[in-house]
Amino acid sequence: MTDKSDSATGLGLTIQRTFDAPRERVFRAWADPEQLAAWWGPKDCRATLVEADVRAAGAWRTCIRHVADGTEYWCSGVYREVVPPDRLVLTFAWEEPPGSRGDESVITVTFADEHGKTRMTFHQAAFHSVEQRDEHVSGWDECFTDLAKYLSERRTRPNGG
Amino acid sequence: MAVDQLSGTLAALADPTRRAILERLTASDATLTEIAAPLPMSIPAVAKHLRVLERAGLITRGRAAQARPCRLAAGPLAEVSDWVARYRRYWDESFDRLDEHLRTLREDTDDDGQER
Repeated sequence: MTDKSDSATGLGLTIQRTFDAPRERVFRAWADPEQLAAWWGPKDCRATLVEADVRAAGAWRTCIRHVADGTEYWCSGVYREVVPPDRLVLTFAWEEPPGSRGDESVITVTFADEHGKTRMTFHQAAFHSVEQRDEHVSGWDECFTDLAKYLSERRTRPNGG
Repeated sequence: MAVDQLSGTLAALADPTRRAILERLTASDATLTEIAAPLPMSIPAVAKHLRVLERAGLITRGRAAQARPCRLAAGPLAEVSDWVARYRRYWDESFDRLDEHLRTLREDTDDDGQER
């Protein structure tokens, strides 16, 4: 990795990273369930099961176990676009409890070649319903810059002004 | 975090007019008339959006004056902001591990001249 950055504008999270690997390989690390299990999850967790039918409308499901206390967290979703080695779009929701669907979000990952390295742009946006997910894919981030600023200022004034 | 409240917040935010209203209220408190002025819709339509925002706890409205000025309420928005922060940590740490994973693959390739 040579560079990373991220930003959050209200409801959307964007993370960019450059990996020192060709994008075919980075894409495969996302699209191959075995490889996905090797890295998915925070540093104190391990993916113990990854099922992924990596094609449009295919389902995925992952169990992530907290290494120290053994707590299991399930998350799952559906692939919406699979375009190797350019782009992956999938839905994501925590299962709380397992088998149920929590708040749905949409993840878009794009892979751009940069002289043999790969610039990955990850974006996750929250939606409270499937309808809104479809309607507002591009609409969430546009006007939240001031809102984010407002929030960070409010944080220093707990009573909310 | 109460999932239901987050859902309610996201539902209220899922409309461009309501986001524009919140954006307007980051500048200062404002009355219905002031909020409606730049918007291409009737005052009753704007009033309806204000009711949705008020129900979601995203704004509060003054009681004293006839004008009932609207004020942005930060609490539910802070929950959304926390949502983003949680995921940022989750993915940042995952991508650190992805970086390590890719490095391992590269070393394997260097060793035997072939990708596994």
